[in-house]
Amino acid sequence: MPECTVVVITYNDAPRLPRAVRSVLGQTLHDLEVIICDDASTDETPTVAAELARSDPRVRYLRRRVNSGGCGAPRNDGIDAAASPYIMFLDSDDNLPRHAVKSMLHEIERTGADFVSGQIARVYEATGRQARYYPSLFARRRVVEDIADEPDLFLDSFSTNKLYDVGFLRREALRFPEDIHYEDHVFATELYVTARRFAVVPWVIYHWRRAQENTSISLSITDMDNVRHRIAAAQRSDKVLRDHGREDLLPERQRRFLRQDLRVYLNPLPSRDLMWAKEFASIVRPYLATIPHEVIDRLEPIAGVCCHLILDERIDDLRVAARSLTGAGAPPRTALREDGRTYWGTTLSPGMDITRLRMAELPFSATRLRHEITEITASGGRVTMIVHTYDPFGVLPTEWTAYFRNGRSRVPIQPKPSGDGYVSEITFIPSAKGDPRIGFTRLSDGHTTSDRLLVDPLMKPLDIGGYLVAPAGASAVLRVTAPVTRPSLLRRARRAVLRRVSTPKTKLAVYKALIKVVPPRKDLALFESDCGKGYTGSPRAIYEELRRQGLPIGVIWSVAKGRKNFPDDAGRVRRMSWRHIWTMARAGIWVDSHGFPLDYPKPPGTRYLQTWHGQGIKSIGFDAPDLRADFPAPREQWRRAVARWDALISPSAEFSRLFVPSNGYTGPIFRYGTPRCDALVRGDAVPFVREKLEIPPGKRVLLYAPTYRDTAKNSGKSVRVDLEMMAEALADEWVMILRTHPVERYKVPQHVRHFVRPAGSYPEINDLILASDALLTDYSSVMCDYTLTGRPMLFFIDDWDEYRLGERGVYHDLPAIAPGPCLTTTQDLIDCLHALPSVHASFADKYAAFRNLWCHEERGNAAARIVEDFFAVPLEAPVTDKTVVWGAP
Amino acid sequence: MSIVFTCMDADTLGGIQQVTHTLAQGLAERGHDVHVVGLHRADKPFRYVAQPLYKHHVVGRGPIGPERRLARRQSDHRLREVLDGVSPGFAVMTSPGVVARISPMLPPSLRPIGQYHGSYEHARGSWHLGSIRKHYPPLDQAVFLSEDDAWLFTEHALLPNSWALPNPLAGWPAAISPLSTPRVLGVGRLEGVKRFDRLISAFALASEPPWELHLLGDGAEIGRLRAHAINEGVSGRVVFRGRVPSSEMSAEYMKASVLGLTSEHEGLPVVLLEAAAHGVPAVAFDVSGGVRSAGPVLAPPGDVPRFAEALAVLMASEDERRRVGAAARRRAADFRLDHVLDLWESMFAHIRR
Repeated sequence: MPECTVVVITYNDAPRLPRAVRSVLGQTLHDLEVIICDDASTDETPTVAAELARSDPRVRYLRRRVNSGGCGAPRNDGIDAAASPYIMFLDSDDNLPRHAVKSMLHEIERTGADFVSGQIARVYEATGRQARYYPSLFARRRVVEDIADEPDLFLDSFSTNKLYDVGFLRREALRFPEDIHYEDHVFATELYVTARRFAVVPWVIYHWRRAQENTSISLSITDMDNVRHRIAAAQRSDKVLRDHGREDLLPERQRRFLRQDLRVYLNPLPSRDLMWAKEFASIVRPYLATIPHEVIDRLEPIAGVCCHLILDERIDDLRVAARSLTGAGAPPRTALREDGRTYWGTTLSPGMDITRLRMAELPFSATRLRHEITEITASGGRVTMIVHTYDPFGVLPTEWTAYFRNGRSRVPIQPKPSGDGYVSEITFIPSAKGDPRIGFTRLSDGHTTSDRLLVDPLMKPLDIGGYLVAPAGASAVLRVTAPVTRPSLLRRARRAVLRRVSTPKTKLAVYKALIKVVPPRKDLALFESDCGKGYTGSPRAIYEELRRQGLPIGVIWSVAKGRKNFPDDAGRVRRMSWRHIWTMARAGIWVDSHGFPLDYPKPPGTRYLQTWHGQGIKSIGFDAPDLRADFPAPREQWRRAVARWDALISPSAEFSRLFVPSNGYTGPIFRYGTPRCDALVRGDAVPFVREKLEIPPGKRVLLYAPTYRDTAKNSGKSVRVDLEMMAEALADEWVMILRTHPVERYKVPQHVRHFVRPAGSYPEINDLILASDALLTDYSSVMCDYTLTGRPMLFFIDDWDEYRLGERGVYHDLPAIAPGPCLTTTQDLIDCLHALPSVHASFADKYAAFRNLWCHEERGNAAARIVEDFFAVPLEAPVTDKTVVWGAP
Repeated sequence: MSIVFTCMDADTLGGIQQVTHTLAQGLAERGHDVHVVGLHRADKPFRYVAQPLYKHHVVGRGPIGPERRLARRQSDHRLREVLDGVSPGFAVMTSPGVVARISPMLPPSLRPIGQYHGSYEHARGSWHLGSIRKHYPPLDQAVFLSEDDAWLFTEHALLPNSWALPNPLAGWPAAISPLSTPRVLGVGRLEGVKRFDRLISAFALASEPPWELHLLGDGAEIGRLRAHAINEGVSGRVVFRGRVPSSEMSAEYMKASVLGLTSEHEGLPVVLLEAAAHGVPAVAFDVSGGVRSAGPVLAPPGDVPRFAEALAVLMASEDERRRVGAAARRRAADFRLDHVLDLWESMFAHIRR
């Protein structure tokens, strides 16, 4: 007896059948059988199948006499014919990855489950790209006792991504319905309620292949019959639940219908005509009417609106609303605001409530307008179109200018008021790929809001000199595609040569050769802050002091790719470009805040001032996780990098105690305070920061600056407070400036954007500190600098134990020394913010002690003193012959 | 059936190499045709097995590091000769670097097995996790040191083929430590990852004279560690013993009462198993499934005060040491070579299923 049966169902698919069967025969599990269940194909399937059976004794071929018209009957044939204890199903147009059967078999043996469900991946044959279906459902390897514990698993109603215990299927008489197309939906529902327990595994066990042309049954969604079958499957699934006495699961099964099945038709609805939409709605409506409103209202607001529009037979509106489901999530044409709530359209009805999206309350630059192209034509190498702009939330002021932008080219436009919005006639020559936008600039403060353009989904693409202008995506956004041009032979050759030559390895080799022959210029300095990411920090303060004193030192800034806001009176080189390599060799002075490229030795004679970018409780240097792994190389590299420093700025005795030994630094130390903090000591607030960040007058500003997590850089996971909950409780009084760490990536969701101003890439954190009324952080070094303002601080440290023990390691017990409350829940945080003055007052002593520990030496003149000692001295002199320039080490 | 183990460097002194040679000898004794291949030459070769029953090849001419194109081609050529010359069986690749380099070269007759000798936590902090995600799913088996680690890799690298096999204990001592010498043992290279600074701090918190902490091993951190011992006020009772030959390790365990393991990362440290086999109780940071499987007294990772408390409990009572030590020895029996070889053979059977 084989260990597992794989049933391959097929109908008129002779060309692809061998691929499916071979993917089973090539499995790492050898001892299996393949049963080809042919639903009475009329093509060469019998010959192909016979050939497969002849070539491998593990293959059997079953053929139905009459076509069943579905997938249920042939799968049932397979269950009946299976000669092994376990079974899987495969469609002839798909395939199994190599370990699928053995890995699932091992799991069912290990867990004793009735079936095992695995990750399914779509494979787009044109590109080879793979997309996993709802990966979060499968992320954890686990055993589930009752679907009620994890009702989201109703989203997994496939029959193919599972391995079943044949005894269980036969004992429970589980079979596929043979009279509808979505037989697996009904089958899966019954499976979930009959299984004693089932297992879920995270790895991909099924490749659901999508060829260019859609022939398979489940994909022919334009067919109205298909809608009927899907509804029937949902109704039958509900009945299965009732028959098993599991009414408790009905809302969850129906939720699956609304989130998954209905969306299959709603998303592309904009490209259907009105007749289709009407018929579709009339088929869906009776079933939708049986679903309680509470279930509908748990959906995301626009999907809920669509359901209510179907129920209310408002099909024209439905087509308008459906365009907001995908793509850029366009705003509605009109909205109604009443009592602080926002409603879709013009009627005040609970089903139309879209307040949760918070679209009506966005700051001007993030606000949303809806641009619909009503006419578009091409003539004489130009595109001419009429655009109707809707301003559903009434955000446009009286004074504005407007433009249309395609790539870098911008043309001013003159929208004319018209009925419920504005109408513009726009003519442009497509010149760049991308989605064109229309922008409105508010004259009072210069802020601009822009949005993409919606176009008729059925519009014929316009070809203008190779540029294609066409609708993109289900919501039909106007998109320009650039012609594919092959660069000239010369260019290609140049690029190929550059690619070979401009490698990090050759750059380093060239650099090492350069510094042997090029003498550094004593009056040239290379400055860098935050690895070139900004014009900020102590290097900036020192640079500005240099300029104030008018010292004869040329300065070149190292600038990371795409970074701006650098001063015009200094040179600039792109970090790691050839010019940067040359400047490193040529500059006699290096100043930075993190570390020049680590592998680059310092030229003999060059003086390197390390200003370091922060101090605080986090472990650092050889104690930090990136140097604690079981490889010697990074530690060696860092040791060599530190040995390049000729002077280090130490802001405090505490910094000297912690930072200096943990980096193995032994050179001279400047103890004048921190150039970076001079601006904070002086308290010279920069004008217009609040205006730039669109903070309404009267609102208080909470600066939220969490540090990164070492094992989750660029993941957005450092933003740990519940922003939605905070917005709900605080948005009337507060605005949050979210300053994420430079190695973190986080996109503020639109529904909290009315409360949160993203400032991760704002060029100067000092400006934000000075513009704020309070600081919220976790373990970031900003807490030390911030004490100079004397303003309240709060600490959100819900992962304190993880962070201090495993993730990063710390030198201080933060809760013991923190100059403000240490909180672990968003609710506590909100409570503290409501009572901020008294909370802050109660920490007065700790605040003073904390400030004393880190900022005792800040006088506001650090830059001046450092310039005097490091730059103004005769430039040939060594930095200093003393180990400490001022104060104790 | 042949089994080919491949290491980046098969002869340097290290955990991967020790385990590989122990397994190779054990499998060869069971009648398999075993080969150990080093892709690079060791700077200071170490002889793990006095009379190997397996064949030993070094295909590279230089130490680990970048190779010139010609040298790499010659090394690949020699490797192919070894791989093509053996009968059908299994190719065991002992690290992500080896898997990435040689799995494309394996003949179909050798079924590929990739090992990872670190913990999941270590992999995720380095390039290893990305490499495992990319190169391990197509292998016939991806082998980790403990069930917990295999589970984590399964979830985070989406591996369909994970398996757990512990490291073996090469020998089994007849006698156990009397546990009466007032001595805490720390064993390992004096490198950053081992975090002996934490062991010194915990020892300082937990101990009184006459207790001593003996650190066995050498490395670049020795200066920082000496300074740290002075700061902690225990420099007189922390003894830096330098490297001790493996033949003398048994005697060291016999003179120890407690073993401390404060590493930042550990896979399945053989020193925990050896101490347990000698009936020596151990305290360790709970840094991996491998550490847990060896059954030491656990402290939360990085929590030095808790670690010190656990140390103090053991130092205070000989009875407690004896009880914990005896349990550790019982548990260590699961790691005896014969048993681990049985596990290897059942994995081979699973692959052939």
